[in-house]
Amino acid sequence: MEDTQNSIYALKTSAGQERNVARMLAKKAKESGLGLRAVIVPESLKGYVLVESSTKIDMRNPHMRIPHLRGVVESKDKKEGSNIVSFEELKKFLKPEPIISSINKGSIVELISGPFKSERAKVIRIDESREEVVLELIEAAVPIPVTVKADQIRIIQKEAD
Amino acid sequence: MSQKACVSCKRISFKERCSVCHNPTSDNWSGFLIIIDPENSDVSKELGIELPGEFALRVR
Repeated sequence: MEDTQNSIYALKTSAGQERNVARMLAKKAKESGLGLRAVIVPESLKGYVLVESSTKIDMRNPHMRIPHLRGVVESKDKKEGSNIVSFEELKKFLKPEPIISSINKGSIVELISGPFKSERAKVIRIDESREEVVLELIEAAVPIPVTVKADQIRIIQKEAD
Repeated sequence: MSQKACVSCKRISFKERCSVCHNPTSDNWSGFLIIIDPENSDVSKELGIELPGEFALRVR
């Protein structure tokens, strides 16, 4: 099998429209023969999509006229190929680490959903297998342990002082 | 109706069971990936995807 020469480009999109842009890009690629191989929308990159392409992405191409697509991310460095994302960099988006592995006992977190939304809390116990954390709300008068799923919190301060 | 991702192959669909591998699907998924040309894509080789379509990057 021949070796493919694919490059990865980062495209800027409107915030919240990443999946729609990805779907439209895929549709255009099938219709027009743009050299796209894959479109990646990592959860941690708001406002960007990554595309794997065998050809150089040129925003002047009429097939790249897609609503909410703002342009290719260009490097300040004008060297050839400097706006290409390396495959090593892409790998960490393809296999995202579970949020729970970055939480420590004593971390300060903010709840992002549920009845205690926008409250701050301290992590008192971590259940890695069930992806749950036990928290103690900082501003509560009486400390009551609250168990929430790891995806319902955002880390504010990684380590306890 | 919300989209669901297969817990095994991560393919996104609206069904309770994946139409390709028949494993159950989950509502709790994140990340989004469209494979257009699996034979020539480095991403699909890295993730072991052989069929084109829409996939999640992480399914719980």
